[in-house]
Amino acid sequence: MRNLWLIAKHEYLNTVTRRGFLLLLAAVPLGIVALVGMGIFVESMSRDTTPIGYVDQAGFLDARLHATLPDAAERIQIRSFVDEEAARAALEQGQIQAYYVFPPDYLSSLQTEVYYLQDEPSGDARQDLEEFVRVNLVSSYPAEVQERLLEGPSVTVHDVASNRTFSENEIANIILPFVATFLFFFATMSSAGYMLGVVASEKENRTVEVMMTSVTPEQLIGGKTLGLLAASLSQLAAYLVVGIIGVRVAAAYVPELQQIQMPWGYLGVMALFFFPSYALITGVMVALGAAVTNMEQGQQAAGLLNLLFVLPLFILPVLFSNPGHPLIVAFTLFPTTSFLTISLRWGLGTVPWWQIGLSWALLVATATLSIWAAARVFRAGMLRYGKPLNLKAVVAAVRG
Amino acid sequence: MANLEASHLSKRFGDTHAVVDVSFAVEPGEIFGLLGPNGAGKTTTIRMLLDIFRPDAGAVRIFGGEMNQEKKHRIGYMPEERGLYKDLKLEPTLVYLAALKGMEEAAARARLGPWLERFDLAEHRTKKVQELSKGMQQKAQIIATLIHDPDLVVIDEPFSGLDPVSTRLVKQIFEEQRQAGKSILMSTHQMYQVEALCDRIVLIDEGRTVLYGPVAEIKHNFAGNAVVVEGQGDFTRIPGVMETRRQNGTWHMALEIGTDPQAVLRSLAAREDLRIERFELEEPSLDDIFIQTVQEKRPRTAG
Repeated sequence: MRNLWLIAKHEYLNTVTRRGFLLLLAAVPLGIVALVGMGIFVESMSRDTTPIGYVDQAGFLDARLHATLPDAAERIQIRSFVDEEAARAALEQGQIQAYYVFPPDYLSSLQTEVYYLQDEPSGDARQDLEEFVRVNLVSSYPAEVQERLLEGPSVTVHDVASNRTFSENEIANIILPFVATFLFFFATMSSAGYMLGVVASEKENRTVEVMMTSVTPEQLIGGKTLGLLAASLSQLAAYLVVGIIGVRVAAAYVPELQQIQMPWGYLGVMALFFFPSYALITGVMVALGAAVTNMEQGQQAAGLLNLLFVLPLFILPVLFSNPGHPLIVAFTLFPTTSFLTISLRWGLGTVPWWQIGLSWALLVATATLSIWAAARVFRAGMLRYGKPLNLKAVVAAVRG
Repeated sequence: MANLEASHLSKRFGDTHAVVDVSFAVEPGEIFGLLGPNGAGKTTTIRMLLDIFRPDAGAVRIFGGEMNQEKKHRIGYMPEERGLYKDLKLEPTLVYLAALKGMEEAAARARLGPWLERFDLAEHRTKKVQELSKGMQQKAQIIATLIHDPDLVVIDEPFSGLDPVSTRLVKQIFEEQRQAGKSILMSTHQMYQVEALCDRIVLIDEGRTVLYGPVAEIKHNFAGNAVVVEGQGDFTRIPGVMETRRQNGTWHMALEIGTDPQAVLRSLAAREDLRIERFELEEPSLDDIFIQTVQEKRPRTAG
């Protein structure tokens, strides 16, 4: 047991202090921060607070209602002009960024015209004016009807099978699983790559022969797996911390982010799938690392094997249009694709509990088999310097 | 009790019989040579001794019983192919390997200092292994093999890549180990080193034992067909002697098959015209024995 921890500690420290790991650790959050920062910067640069004007020839707009809009004081000022000449003069003098003309038949035609000099009115200006018009259009209805009309419908799907609710208004909560999916997956695949590297280099460096006189193959592989798992979890924890801080900061600028709630259900299911998925990939990479003669050969084969895990990304259109499609259900149950498929489906709707349960059982069984087989292939291949194990030898090793 | 006993070991890979019925024992306080030409089965034998491979037949007894984790800690192994983590620094690598042999890291670090000094590697302790020369890596590997003070050392080609000064140092360390009662199983192609260091040897060829016993006894058994004589007079045309040649003042006589060296000595002593100052059986070198045995594939066991 002591050797297992020694190897795990050695592998962890060796991995997390590598330049490549540190660069990757910093690159992802920094990239996200840079993207968010750039978005905020572009948004703030493009924000034009110059008032916007209108000419109400239909006579339906009441300027006083502007004050009833939420956060009215922070909105772009809306000015009323008696005719187009006055509005044009104000536009040419730069007092307004644009003006709308509501013709006399507006209430029947719902057609309007907008005038500006060079730049179109900003998105904020258009949105504020549209909301001002809407509040005027519904002003004659009772207050609760006004509220319903202004906010529009809110559909919440409640899946009686899984007891999970899914609201399309919570856009941020839909996006979050997608972001988390890629981070989870990225961390898993990168640690799988490290695993391939350490096993192949152990063999390439000839250290395995010395190690075998100190520890058992199970201790060696188990220790390395634990060490890399810890490194992977450290990576995820760092991403999570940066993500939480990022969302908190961004929420000050993007109101939609304020309604983000921690998706504990999603995180719980993903944690449940993360460990067996990690074990499955690790088993595959250990066997591959033991079967090949050097790292380069291993990476070529790993590229093909990785495809088995990223297949769901190739059927995203089906996933988006019909998450209950038989192909998607098959991918949900198939061990190498279940992690990614369930994770993506979580953001699009509900996943029946029976599928989650069956998928997890299949994944755990396959992962156990993978580790068991990997230990056998490792025993057979670890001392075959310069000679790869062919498929026949791998099968023979697994069959014992 | 022998520290290591190999009993009728056999191992095959597919249709190839790598090792067939090999037996020997390594006693405490001895340096034992495991010899054989390339592909003879030495490495496979070593791997079976160390429980890296399981033998198809036969048994290995380490310190009187089966291998276990505690016994692994009492063994130091240096394979022919150097096995250190190339992209790691020297000191942490050696401390890590020592820790896997049961040492506390602090104790390993404390013991490492004198070893690095002795092998002239102290100033390279913070360098990555791949930055060290081949000879330095060999010395580092020897430290990794010995740092945990093992009772049994299994070492393959210990002098490979070493300069004469380092070679002398390693031989001195082996001698110290022997005197401390440790067992050293050494595999090498350098016969003069075997002759100088080993108490006993086993020679395997094509997976089978062809020679086994004390070095002196094996050499003695291969002697007898030739004698060395020093003295005054003409030592040619001696009855029973097939060929005589003089080299650096010494006469080397190849005897006819069936000739007893004692009969030759008596014959020389009876001659008035000859004065004998030295007469001894000429022992062949281990190199000659190795080549002769392997070439003739003549199964023969001594001792």
